[in-house]
Amino acid sequence: MTAIVKDVPAEEYNRYLPPMKARRMGKLQKRALVTALKAMEISGTDQPDAILNGTAMGCMEHSVQLLKGLEQEGEAVNMPTAFMQSTHNTVASLIAIHTCNHGYNNTYAHRTISFECALQDAWLQLRTGRLRTALVSANDEITEFQHQHPHFFGQMEYADRSEAWMLSVEPGDHPLYELENVRIIHQKGAEDRAEIIKKPL
Amino acid sequence: MRDRVVITGMGVVSALGIGAEANCAALLRGESGVRTVRYLPTEHREFPVGEVPMSGEELLERLALPAGVYSRTHLLGVLALKEALEQSKLLQQSGLALISGTTVGGMDVTEHYFPEPQTTGRDIHDCGASTNEIVDYFDCFDYTMTSSTACSSAMNALIMGKLLIESGERDIVVAGGAEALSLFHLNGFKSLMILDTQRCRPFDKTRSGLNLGEGAAYLVLERESPALKRGAEILGVLSGVGNGCDAFHQTASSENGEGAYLAMTQALAEAGLTSSDISYVNAHGTGTPNNDASESAALRRVFGGNVPPVSSTKSYTGHTTSASGSIEAVFCLLAMRNGFLPTQTEFETADEQCITPVSGSECPRGELRHVMCNAFGFGGNDSSIILSRYE
Repeated sequence: MTAIVKDVPAEEYNRYLPPMKARRMGKLQKRALVTALKAMEISGTDQPDAILNGTAMGCMEHSVQLLKGLEQEGEAVNMPTAFMQSTHNTVASLIAIHTCNHGYNNTYAHRTISFECALQDAWLQLRTGRLRTALVSANDEITEFQHQHPHFFGQMEYADRSEAWMLSVEPGDHPLYELENVRIIHQKGAEDRAEIIKKPL
Repeated sequence: MRDRVVITGMGVVSALGIGAEANCAALLRGESGVRTVRYLPTEHREFPVGEVPMSGEELLERLALPAGVYSRTHLLGVLALKEALEQSKLLQQSGLALISGTTVGGMDVTEHYFPEPQTTGRDIHDCGASTNEIVDYFDCFDYTMTSSTACSSAMNALIMGKLLIESGERDIVVAGGAEALSLFHLNGFKSLMILDTQRCRPFDKTRSGLNLGEGAAYLVLERESPALKRGAEILGVLSGVGNGCDAFHQTASSENGEGAYLAMTQALAEAGLTSSDISYVNAHGTGTPNNDASESAALRRVFGGNVPPVSSTKSYTGHTTSASGSIEAVFCLLAMRNGFLPTQTEFETADEQCITPVSGSECPRGELRHVMCNAFGFGGNDSSIILSRYE
């Protein structure tokens, strides 16, 4: 791992994103993109071979917007932007569009281990020589609606966060950890578990 | 020779019916499953849809499940997965891995209750919960994962499945996807103004949008030598996969189809094939003016002057969104095993911007050795796989 970045504060957004562009994005998309861009900057990898994202619930702001639209306006609802931005892969695509990256691009949405799923995909591809570098991120948001209705979408507890890791087969000047394994375990009737095994360098 | 990733089971549910046999028969008859809405409680009856021809109650009865709150995605997924596991004789096996693709998961339940929560005590809404609802109908799985890249979700699940086997992590991975129709999807696509009020006509000059569909399909992927050792019947080979990002726009495809081009060329390279080896392409071909032109441009870049027979089966099933990649992969296997090219019955007028698909009332017969299947998603998440005869 050559960079790990968590929740870049809003004051830093200007460094990575022109305000004109940022204005058209949702809160999560902005934070996700800036966190990814900072990981690219720190690691010195501006074009990773792959961009992967893990998200438990996807882009909730826009999903809730369309659900509210359906509730209030019925099927007269017309919300192209909310729909377009509601899909789970919006974040990984946005990072690719912003950086003109045509590499491998994937999104996992598997509850609290979504990030680990994305990490396992990247790790197996790095290990087998399919990739040399990969940006793996975790992005979720908890909307105002969910704060008011805590269990509306289910009992799952997940964090409002943006995190981005840069992985590389080359350690570079400042390697942080060596990834040794990612394990995923499903057991009927229990929450899925995952384990990331890494060694500090 | 290196162990290949082979397919030993498949299950499919679509507007063409329940099971591979029913789907194959409808394709051969040239009979579309896209018609006026029956089960989705929508006012928009002007948009024909590809609904699985069973009500919620009928699905519950067929699966012997007690009355209760179920997402249709869950029920369709179980039906398809059951068929795949039965065919590969793995229903009693434990320690299997499953990767499933979905985008709206249990949205049909969520939108029914919104803004009051559903109170079953089970999580139904999110993609991972939706996958695990399907998985836990069975006792086979100790590893599950959900890919969510919009309309290429199931195909990306197949791609990850191949990686899990080739990296030595697993010997058997079941991969595919499931997605039911929802008001969320119908009104979302309506807002984008890409729904056709007639049956969709992919690659036709008069095409004016897609029809939404629903369904599920799963393929059992296995490492070749253990599959042979346990005496599994081998249906085909997953010989190459590709994933490229168009990196152009969240919902539109680029003019030259860069993402699609990259996905197809990667799949060819991984399979060790050249473009002239491909006997058929099952296109993403949604019927929207933009997708079909962009995909045609990419096909011309990959195949040059010798584009093989191409068709889109979306005029049969509608666009089954997240599930389309695995449903159409099953169609490719059926075409290969039964020696026919799925024909587009709705095609009339060629468009110079597009390739001309296989059309007419009869499916041309012939031997197919290698077939390509495309699935593209919003955000430019473009994927392609190559399926080959097992020989």
